[in-house]
Amino acid sequence: MRATAGIFTALAVALVLLTGCTTAPSEASSTAYVPPTAATTTPAPAPPPAAADLVPTVSSALDQNQAPRALAPQRIRVGSLGIDMAIEPVGLAADGAMELPKDPSIAAWYRFGPSPVSATGATVVAAHVDSLVYDIGPFAELASAPAGTEIVVTTEDGQERRYAVESVQTVNKADVPWDSIFDRTGPGRLTLVTCGGEFDYDARSYLSNVIVSANPIA
Amino acid sequence: MHKSLKIGMTAGTLGALVALGGLAPAQADGHVAKLSVLHGVPGLTVDVYVNDELTLDDFKPGDLAGPLDLPAGTYKVAITASDAADASAPVIGPIDLPLEAGKNYTATANLDADGKPTATLFTNDISQVAAGEGRLTVRHVAAAPAVDVLANGAAAITALTNPNESVLTLPAGTISAAVAATGTTDPVIGPADVNVAEGTNTIVYAWGSLADKNLALAVQTIDGLHSNPDSIPAGEAGLVATNQANESTGLIVGGFAVLMGLVAAAVVGMRRLSAARR
Repeated sequence: MRATAGIFTALAVALVLLTGCTTAPSEASSTAYVPPTAATTTPAPAPPPAAADLVPTVSSALDQNQAPRALAPQRIRVGSLGIDMAIEPVGLAADGAMELPKDPSIAAWYRFGPSPVSATGATVVAAHVDSLVYDIGPFAELASAPAGTEIVVTTEDGQERRYAVESVQTVNKADVPWDSIFDRTGPGRLTLVTCGGEFDYDARSYLSNVIVSANPIA
Repeated sequence: MHKSLKIGMTAGTLGALVALGGLAPAQADGHVAKLSVLHGVPGLTVDVYVNDELTLDDFKPGDLAGPLDLPAGTYKVAITASDAADASAPVIGPIDLPLEAGKNYTATANLDADGKPTATLFTNDISQVAAGEGRLTVRHVAAAPAVDVLANGAAAITALTNPNESVLTLPAGTISAAVAATGTTDPVIGPADVNVAEGTNTIVYAWGSLADKNLALAVQTIDGLHSNPDSIPAGEAGLVATNQANESTGLIVGGFAVLMGLVAAAVVGMRRLSAARR
């Protein structure tokens, strides 16, 4: 009789141990992505065109009506977080992801999207948070950036452009709305992306992206 | 029976309403047609009348107007001399332009292959392009025979005739573009740098007259056709992870060890118990 009770106790303890360890890693490390205020502001409605002479007319000459060339950001500094990195222009990796330099101490700018001089949209700058070869990168500090943190981006014309952090969000990769991250509309703004949160040690991949939304300082 | 039928119909009606509701935003975007107008007749400043109303005043060669948002329908376009009092004596047209909702058009005033002023309606391809790519549309609206379009010195489009177009999808970037008589590589226009911008339809027009030696290129761009990267994998080492390496696996293995140990102990205990009873 006592032995039977002992078995039940042992099983109960073992079950508690099992359930305990399966639920532990699912601790909430991310929430649904909240778009920054800049992206959700509705622009004032355009005034209705009235007279015939209001139809916008431009010269179609090749030197006057082509898509403007972007002005590449070349350096990013966040003094309070010890971040000071070069920025390389990048496109796409073969799998459709944004391309990134292997070295996490080099940031990357998505060159097909907006740049800091674009009239609208998010300039996207990303960097690896860590690497098996190069160790932890500067963007690891972003996860702890408080709102208001100043970011300075230097563009290829030598101008410094200042931004203030609005929000830092850790979002499950499957839930990141990439069309919002790479938004080409809305007010000009800066979006920094790296990885963070929990790590899948088998797939060697973080489960979340850390997304920093920052607005220009007038 | 009657009641359940009624409920069924209501559900059906609701379904239809939901379906309509789902379509509504698309209709809000697509209930108008967009129309741009390009003036490609050399040496002739004009007025453009749409449905007899003066819409473009003193419109000069090489100028591009619009896009205008117009409700779907057929529009009568007349092009007159710039000092005309109304649309009654057009130099081109009047022509009817049937415009469908959600589509994007460019109407050109241009010379035909023989040098006679005319008008041409083109439908612009505004479908999405893949991330990293741009669309290049080339239109022949010049008084000239068939041409080849050379991109970076090689023929990219061959035997293009007035008033036709050719559409290419290219990796985004700047190309050196030139126009040559078909089968030749000696440029009659260009070479000139054309920015095949990502996510954009860059529309290049060859206009003017070969005989009058005033062939030129015009360009129109329609952006917002881009696609985006689908991820940013930005870490591989787990050095800043908020969880520990193998922590869950370790606990499961440990848990099983404890369980097996306890089961073994209990079995041993039961054997001892039954041995004692004997």
